[in-house]
Amino acid sequence: MAYLTNLYDTSRCTACRGCQVACKNWNQLPAVIEPFQGNYQTHKDTNGDTYTIVKMIETEDPVDGVIWNFLKYQCMHCFEPACMKVCPRGAYTKTDWGATIHDPDKCIGCQYCTYACPFEIPKYRKREDKIAKCTLCADRVEEGLQPACAATCAPGALMFGDRDELLQYAEDRVKFLRANGFPRATIYGKLELGGLNKIYVLTDTPDKFGLPVNPKIPGQIPFWQDWIQPYLGWLIPIALAGSAVSFVTTRILANKHGEHDEGGHE
Amino acid sequence: MKVTRRQFLKVTGATAASFAILDLGFDTQATAAAIKELRIKNVTPVPTICPYCASGCGLVVYAEHREGKETQLLSVQGDPDNPINEGCACPKGAAMFNLREIYDPHTGEQIINPKRVKKPLYRAPFSDKWVEKDWDWMLQTIAERVKETRDKSFIHTENGMIVNRTEKIASIGGSGLDNEECYLLSKLMRSLGVVYLETQARI
Amino acid sequence: MSPAFGRGVMTNHMIDLKNTNVALIMGSNMAENHPIGMKWLMKGRFDPKRQTKIIHVDPRFTRTSAVADLYCPIRSGTDIAFLGGMINYILENDLYHKEYLVNYTNASFLIKDEFSFEDGLFSGYDASKRAYDFGTWDYQYGPDGKILTDETLQHPRCVFQLLKKHFSRYDIDTVCKITGAPKNKYMQVLELFCSTGAPDKTGTICYAMGITQHTVGSQNVKAFAIIQLLLGNIGRPGGGINALRGENNVQGATDMALLFHIIPGYIDSPTNTEDNKDLISFIRKITPGAAKLPFSNLNEFRELVKAGIPYSGWRIHSSKWVVSLLKAWYGDAANAENDFAYHYLPKRDASKNYSHIALFEAMHKGEIEGLFVNGTNPVVGGPNANKEQEALTKLKWMVSMDLWLNETAEFWTYQGWERATNNPDVPKYTPKDIGTEVFFLPAAAVYEKEGTASQTGRWVQFRWKGADPVGESRSDLWIYNELGKRIKQLYAGSTRPEDEPIVNMTWDYDGHDEHEPDILKVANEMCGYNVADGTPVEGFAQLKDDGSTACGNWIYCGATTLKDGQFVYKPQLRQKEDPSGLGLFPNWGWAWPMNRRIVYNRCSVQPDGINPWPGDDDRRLVWWDEASGGWAGWDVPDFIKTVGPDNPAFKDPFIMRPEGKGCIFSTNGVLKDGPFPEHYEPWESPMPPILNKQPLNPVAKVWEPEKQGNTDKYPIIATTYRVTEHWQSGALTRNLPWLAELMPDMIVELSEELAKEKGIKNGHEVIVSTTRGDIKAIACVTKRFKPFNLGGKIVHQIGLLWHYGFKGYATGDIANRLTPHIGDANTMCPEYKAFLCDIRRA
Repeated sequence: MAYLTNLYDTSRCTACRGCQVACKNWNQLPAVIEPFQGNYQTHKDTNGDTYTIVKMIETEDPVDGVIWNFLKYQCMHCFEPACMKVCPRGAYTKTDWGATIHDPDKCIGCQYCTYACPFEIPKYRKREDKIAKCTLCADRVEEGLQPACAATCAPGALMFGDRDELLQYAEDRVKFLRANGFPRATIYGKLELGGLNKIYVLTDTPDKFGLPVNPKIPGQIPFWQDWIQPYLGWLIPIALAGSAVSFVTTRILANKHGEHDEGGHE
Repeated sequence: MKVTRRQFLKVTGATAASFAILDLGFDTQATAAAIKELRIKNVTPVPTICPYCASGCGLVVYAEHREGKETQLLSVQGDPDNPINEGCACPKGAAMFNLREIYDPHTGEQIINPKRVKKPLYRAPFSDKWVEKDWDWMLQTIAERVKETRDKSFIHTENGMIVNRTEKIASIGGSGLDNEECYLLSKLMRSLGVVYLETQARI
Repeated sequence: MSPAFGRGVMTNHMIDLKNTNVALIMGSNMAENHPIGMKWLMKGRFDPKRQTKIIHVDPRFTRTSAVADLYCPIRSGTDIAFLGGMINYILENDLYHKEYLVNYTNASFLIKDEFSFEDGLFSGYDASKRAYDFGTWDYQYGPDGKILTDETLQHPRCVFQLLKKHFSRYDIDTVCKITGAPKNKYMQVLELFCSTGAPDKTGTICYAMGITQHTVGSQNVKAFAIIQLLLGNIGRPGGGINALRGENNVQGATDMALLFHIIPGYIDSPTNTEDNKDLISFIRKITPGAAKLPFSNLNEFRELVKAGIPYSGWRIHSSKWVVSLLKAWYGDAANAENDFAYHYLPKRDASKNYSHIALFEAMHKGEIEGLFVNGTNPVVGGPNANKEQEALTKLKWMVSMDLWLNETAEFWTYQGWERATNNPDVPKYTPKDIGTEVFFLPAAAVYEKEGTASQTGRWVQFRWKGADPVGESRSDLWIYNELGKRIKQLYAGSTRPEDEPIVNMTWDYDGHDEHEPDILKVANEMCGYNVADGTPVEGFAQLKDDGSTACGNWIYCGATTLKDGQFVYKPQLRQKEDPSGLGLFPNWGWAWPMNRRIVYNRCSVQPDGINPWPGDDDRRLVWWDEASGGWAGWDVPDFIKTVGPDNPAFKDPFIMRPEGKGCIFSTNGVLKDGPFPEHYEPWESPMPPILNKQPLNPVAKVWEPEKQGNTDKYPIIATTYRVTEHWQSGALTRNLPWLAELMPDMIVELSEELAKEKGIKNGHEVIVSTTRGDIKAIACVTKRFKPFNLGGKIVHQIGLLWHYGFKGYATGDIANRLTPHIGDANTMCPEYKAFLCDIRRA
């Protein structure tokens, strides 16, 4: 069936961050209060209780003056998710409309997925010893509702619907923007990593928004998927022991990202 | 004429805020086992208006009313039927759930916002702490203070005319109240003779 | 706006923003503080028919600037210079909408010969009183009592020519020197916005506190009014002056007259003067045109009203509103024999001001004994907060009502007196020094109770109850009802005449539930009922001044009706049709007055009352319907339904103004500081006056002359503001973890240039000081702030969030400890937006 996608148009976003709160509201996530980060941005990165953030980047151009770019950042629901490939417990599934779903009941908190993800999206939630991430509000979508972030978006920067139709909007919008003062406007998510189930309309090149220009899956990932996973369940304990080095490395990396998990002050 | 209470939505011939069902063109059977059931399914939403800026956005409250227990919220979100915001909510509107309940950052558990005050509090002159009091004592004591101050300071006549005012009682605020509340406040204060009457419109 | 149009309200409404061609957002950070307004401008931007362009003029580059088509910086407190330049540009280049101007405004009216303007002063100034005698600010009248006009707009004494002369001094170079706006950007703003003077285009102006919180706040708005009248943008979809109000029901609170100078329905509150001594005197005073008419009782007055009073406007009916109000409040005790108990109403001292600043000055002097504080937080939100906090220590008792213990409720705590620096000029207290008795009453949250709120566009919408109040917290309706009952009980049986207003006050709101009064009983009284049978009065045209109707607030009259014998409260309506496609939604809630969604909508058609403005067919709201002999339309006509082409008032769209026209020139001191706006520097300014010789608005009251900061010690301009993630004094947001998370700390924003000068790096702790106090904050060094170049002089500006305090999940120092006690000459709205400070590393 056709994929259902979230489109995000940076030219319409006012960075009010209603989406950030609506996400917490719907997904029942506590606040993670961190001190001032150097600008209005709340967290440097997503975390186990924060599935989405809005990045806020200031630049200056001799002609255009100050430019303040905003970017909503969250799981990209890749067509071929690396997280799903590497997960030793098969905790990840893909819905037939394109959402990448993580099942906490199967998760053992190994964080291999965090390491594998080109966007470092799956995050560790210490209090449960599990991974957590954006679900594309699958529970809402399957009952005919929009994802919480799209439903709440006041300026209409977030839209939800048929991916092909949204791609058409994106093409038209980029064409318009290029002709109206944004010569480097571009689409992101159409082809990256073979396609993301998340379309961006960017007013400038991806690096100006803190997006990887050419996202890649780390080198050893195909090995894991192609050689270990086919042996399924009975091999997992052995595999885990056998790849102890890799596992420890991943864990360290993941912990580094998850430092702020228990943050918060009053 | 007798005015009856709680006529809710029926009288006005309106419908309760609906699920803004999208026509997604697919069977809505769960496609992945890990997807949670929609927790607001079959729950009647109750419309309200956002208490922050004056745009007048509609929000809907989904709550679970449990026998003998305190109501628990399920979700508070933009009202898709309200033409002003069409279901949208800015961060403040989207955070309205927190006005009453929060998720504990250590346990993830849903609890009443611990900052909400649950009982009337009294601070005696020169004291450094609050003391819990019951409503009856509070309201009675306040009424007595009002009378005492008013009677002591009341100016009944001036320049040969009746002026009925006190300049020793003041009232500020009220822009966060409903119209009916403002109306009672305005009527009560003016009948007491209060002239120092101000709201946030000025500031 | 009221001096120009007759009502001080947002002319259009939120959804209508989608209908505009150009939006000028000035003194508002709409994307952050009214995000839903931005939603509708975005809709217009994507509508091929409108292709809305967005202009943002602001001292700061904000999230609104980030999405605007055009951003132009401006130094805080120089709006009139900026707008005066625009008026001059419109007049010099003939960009005004002539047909509109001649027919719907007072541009053609002749002004008295004695009226003059020199060196920044209008005629009639008395320096010792810091006030004007308004005698010369008036029209010329013919022998028949009619105002003299010149429709060619050529007469040297006509408003149009006087306007031209007044603003000819506001040339582009002078304006740029004063405001610091770069010339190329300023030119672009002029060109784009003034393009809406074309008859087929409309432009809207959206403003907020960035405009009103100045010593010239009212005149800033007046300057908008002049521009919009010149361009023909009032009373039309996509046009208007849209005051974006900041609190969900500040409109309603104002409507209910929680302000000292009015009683419900925008009627001047009575004073202790001879001309207010009884009901007849009061009616004479508040009814325009009635001053010299011969009448000594209501019967005679009614005859005069029936015959018509020239230049009275809709306020000719004031007597009906007052008598119905008294009837609602005092029931049987208000009757024809006793002036309908008019003497019960408090008469304020005409020589005194009772507004927020004055109130706290009086409290500080120990003149006030008891204070009710309802959902407001002056210790954080009041100007000169150190002083306002100290004032609270002089009270005998204080009643605080809120969801949480805010900073005002806890002003007496140890924490409440901690300060960033040890400043001997700043008061210090401990709880044992403070004798104020404090009562804290926990209030229910918005969705734990029911009632209506009036949003910024006057739409009144109902809130239903979605959950029970937390713990023992109660709705404010319950609190006031109980308090009223108990106070009445204490006075029960008193025969003293001064107690009559309480003894005889009607107070019957109990419901079936002991925890909730009957809100519909309140609604019925507020909106009006027939005394004989209690049925709703269906509209204010049916109100009477003979005691047969009771109505607590005439502008809400019409919000109730009977349908099949059932009481209907129209704010509960939730019908979603929008037949015009203009976003009027006539059966969604209810709008005052009489469900009009866009006021002055008579202006949306040509003077003939039938034809739309050329090329603008789809924005016609109302029209004269020859067949039915009345006005009809998509919107409820803001006009007297039967006034047809043969009536002289047919082309008078501003029915709340005595002359029926939009007022470019404001007569008779409706604005105390001048019939036209004039630029005056803020009280604390880095610049000497350039356009005139006045250092400050000559009518602004200076409360604390010794507290005026100067540039030697305080060379930097400071301004305060809000961000989208928090709201007002922060009580309702800093106690919400999700919002504390978004903006956790008190920050001060400054430019990279100033940071370098002061050795400050991003994230450093800094101290900001003024003559009123000091605060600590975290420096947010940003490219979005830039120094101003004022004709070669470089001036820095910093920005302070005023949301923070010492309570809640997100805490920080209180910005208002820095702001001054000085306000607008008319409204006394404090000058929060422009003052002088210094900044250093902590």
